[in-house]
Amino acid sequence: MDNQQKLVQSFVQALGVEEGQVTDQLTYNTIKEWDSTAHMILISEIENTFDVMLDTDDIIDMSTVAKAKEILANYDISF
Amino acid sequence: MTSPSESIVLKGGSVLVTGATGDIGRAIVTECVQAGAAVFAAGRNDEKLDALVHQFEKRVTPLNYDVTDEKAVKEAFRHIQKHQNQSNVGPLMGLVNCAGIMEEAALSVNTMDGLKNQLNVNFLAPYQHMQLASRLMARHRHGSIVNIVSQVGELGANGMSAYGASKAALTGATKSLAKELAAIGIRVNAIAPGFVDTELTRHFEPEARAKIEDRIAMKRVGRAGDVARAVVFLLSRQSAYTTGHVLPVDGLFCP
Repeated sequence: MDNQQKLVQSFVQALGVEEGQVTDQLTYNTIKEWDSTAHMILISEIENTFDVMLDTDDIIDMSTVAKAKEILANYDISF
Repeated sequence: MTSPSESIVLKGGSVLVTGATGDIGRAIVTECVQAGAAVFAAGRNDEKLDALVHQFEKRVTPLNYDVTDEKAVKEAFRHIQKHQNQSNVGPLMGLVNCAGIMEEAALSVNTMDGLKNQLNVNFLAPYQHMQLASRLMARHRHGSIVNIVSQVGELGANGMSAYGASKAALTGATKSLAKELAAIGIRVNAIAPGFVDTELTRHFEPEARAKIEDRIAMKRVGRAGDVARAVVFLLSRQSAYTTGHVLPVDGLFCP
């Protein structure tokens, strides 16, 4: 599984959405599945999947799938 | 008598205990290990941490860091994140914020530095620990956080406004976070000890101590084990439907 697939699976697991819904444009608080509670579970999934511990500012900024990739790149994870 | 099932109420998971080298912290580590948990014991005294490791062999992992150092706290959680999946450890299912300081000073002589110091150790540090621990617990949708607050924060005490305020702040966070984290299966409770016989209270003269005992309905001061057993109850599934609660462990102190 490459990093793109791992990230998609993290969103699927945390938000309970279909794979097809996880596009770069998917945005926090625009679907009922990605609320503040799910956001915390998502962060937990991403940290576990990529073996990182995110800074609080990065957690706040992680508002889209595209942004998640951009942030993870700062932790040496490439897409 | 404790039944076999009761003695392993924390089996399969790990617990982080801050302030693990103090009297109450050591008692909490002991009770957690006896209840079946692997323990990350956080403290500042290497000798006392080594003693815990020696006493409990592979069940205790020592972590020496300053709870008020944000970077060090994050590194400690990074260590837990990496080690919690080892077979002899298990996922982090419990956090006990036990590290604390108590400084007595009347309002007129209380310095701002003294106030900030107590807020840092007694409130800001536990808050950061809850922030990071809840992220590790969220993945399993299961966890229990126990904050050691104080009856001074609940009832007030002459000359302890800064300490009382710092503990009351933690009580407030406990109640709000219980509501916030319930949706992801994390319970947040607190224990409010009364007068407990520890290094912090041993300086009391016999006369002052007798006066305090007189005000306790059970007519004895608390022991570290009294607090520790209540902590294990709140960590375990035996309190599965209890969250946002502050449990006094004070022998019914009557101010």
